[in-house]
Amino acid sequence: MTKWLETHLPKMVLAPSFIAVLVFVYGFIAWTAWVSLTRSRLLPKYEIEGFIQYERLFASPRWDTAINNLFIFGALFIIIAMVLGLLLAILLDQKIRTEGMIRTIYLYPMALSMIVTGTAWKWILNPGLGIQATVRSWGFENFSFDWLVNPDFAIYTIVLAAVWQSSGFVMALFLAGLRSVDEEIIKAAQVDGIPTWRIYSAIIIPSMGPIFMSAFIVLAHLAIKSFDLVIALTGGGPGYATDLPATYMYAMAFSRGDIGQAASSAMIMMLVVFTIVVPYLYSELRAKND
Amino acid sequence: MARAATSQRKVLNTALAWAVGFLIFFPILWTILTSFKTEAQAIASPPIFLNFDWTLENYAVVQERSNYMRFLWNSIIIAGGSTILGTIIAIPAAWSMAFVPSKRTKDILLWMLSTKMLPAVGVLYPIYLLFIKMGLLDSRAGLVIVLMLINLPIIVWMLYTYFREIPGEILEAARMDGATLKDEILYVLTPMAIPGIASTLLLNFILAWNEAFWTLNLTAANAAPLTAFIASYSSPEGLFYAKLSAASTMAIAPILILGWFSQKQLVRGLTFGAVK
Repeated sequence: MTKWLETHLPKMVLAPSFIAVLVFVYGFIAWTAWVSLTRSRLLPKYEIEGFIQYERLFASPRWDTAINNLFIFGALFIIIAMVLGLLLAILLDQKIRTEGMIRTIYLYPMALSMIVTGTAWKWILNPGLGIQATVRSWGFENFSFDWLVNPDFAIYTIVLAAVWQSSGFVMALFLAGLRSVDEEIIKAAQVDGIPTWRIYSAIIIPSMGPIFMSAFIVLAHLAIKSFDLVIALTGGGPGYATDLPATYMYAMAFSRGDIGQAASSAMIMMLVVFTIVVPYLYSELRAKND
Repeated sequence: MARAATSQRKVLNTALAWAVGFLIFFPILWTILTSFKTEAQAIASPPIFLNFDWTLENYAVVQERSNYMRFLWNSIIIAGGSTILGTIIAIPAAWSMAFVPSKRTKDILLWMLSTKMLPAVGVLYPIYLLFIKMGLLDSRAGLVIVLMLINLPIIVWMLYTYFREIPGEILEAARMDGATLKDEILYVLTPMAIPGIASTLLLNFILAWNEAFWTLNLTAANAAPLTAFIASYSSPEGLFYAKLSAASTMAIAPILILGWFSQKQLVRGLTFGAVK
């Protein structure tokens, strides 16, 4: 009996987590996929009708805006957060005193809910109160910073807040990467009199490929899932100028009573994430076999 | 970098790092400061930085008008409950994968972790319907279960990375001394695993505390935690910045304090174990 337990217990204790994830995630995704192929509106229906929901989705100007926003937001957010994160990591890598405290402060935005920190951001971005009003009160009467209420620019305020939230996190990832570079190589380069910036650009950073990859994956999936940010800052407005796919889905499911549209938009988001996650899993698994 | 930087340069770098830190911390600081202002001072232009009449009135009003304590209690129960439940389920799984790995272990782990990357919207509606059917909508029990399931892959992963750092030789030595599986778990593994479990608990508590997508969608009046409370507070009473700031400060204070006193765990947890 004990022998049997010792061989089978490891599998038995793994089973609950395994089954929970399997049913909870894939079972429910399958339900969503099914419903996305029906004529469901206010209530779910289960007769498959084909791709009509997807046709409606791609004909919808609001979905069009959400997808455009996702590309603008995603690209800017990922690039800016990575560049800033890398610069901050290099700064903290200079043997700075009180590094532990600084690191914690840089990570605070990530540890706090955007719904809550959005309070301050709404004040900062409000033309009548925050940056615009402050700079004008210094005598620059023509200074203008009204992105939050300008439909053409509101999406950039989402980028701003997202970068604020995540660059400390990217910094922490890169800092770990910088520290894992072989000290001997760096010392040898210093002995040869190579300037510090060349050591970074030619030796350290090129050896951090995998870290760039994981930072990219994490930021990309954060961008696609972004929901709190938009709800906290603009609520999708002005109009639906700052809608992202997640808020589109939310609006369809809960205020428009259109389950079919909600399900089909969710499936499109799934597909996009899958195309990012699958190469990542593949490269991780290959790394394991090396 | 081991370069012999002059101490002057070091001071300069440190000052620059703190300046950036101040910039990053500013929105949080501003929320806290605004919570002690009157409504008129909160929207004064030009803004008042420190030179205002500090008042606790906003806190009193928020508590009186919207029963802050109930939302706080909901947050504690939902975040705490889902964290503890998830950890109980995840510890055996992580233990099994770390100490009795099979050929598939890494595949299973990566697969579990990858599900965490999928957008939650894909499973929102079926869960919503299920909740209606089972009467779990707007209940704390329902949210505890959902948040536990949502974060389960992260908990398993975190615990696995910590457990793997426990040297296997110790287990072998214990076995040589005739320790049974039960002894192994109780007297060898548990004491060594406690730091890892503690920081997993911390990370997961933070994740659950901040969770907005599920709490906004699955709660109304009864089970709403602080995130839902803030979200509701900011829309109808749009311009009451001071009161909104007081409510926000009360929602972030536990995390700020908890994080400051467990900096190492916070950093390691938020980076999913990447930073030690």
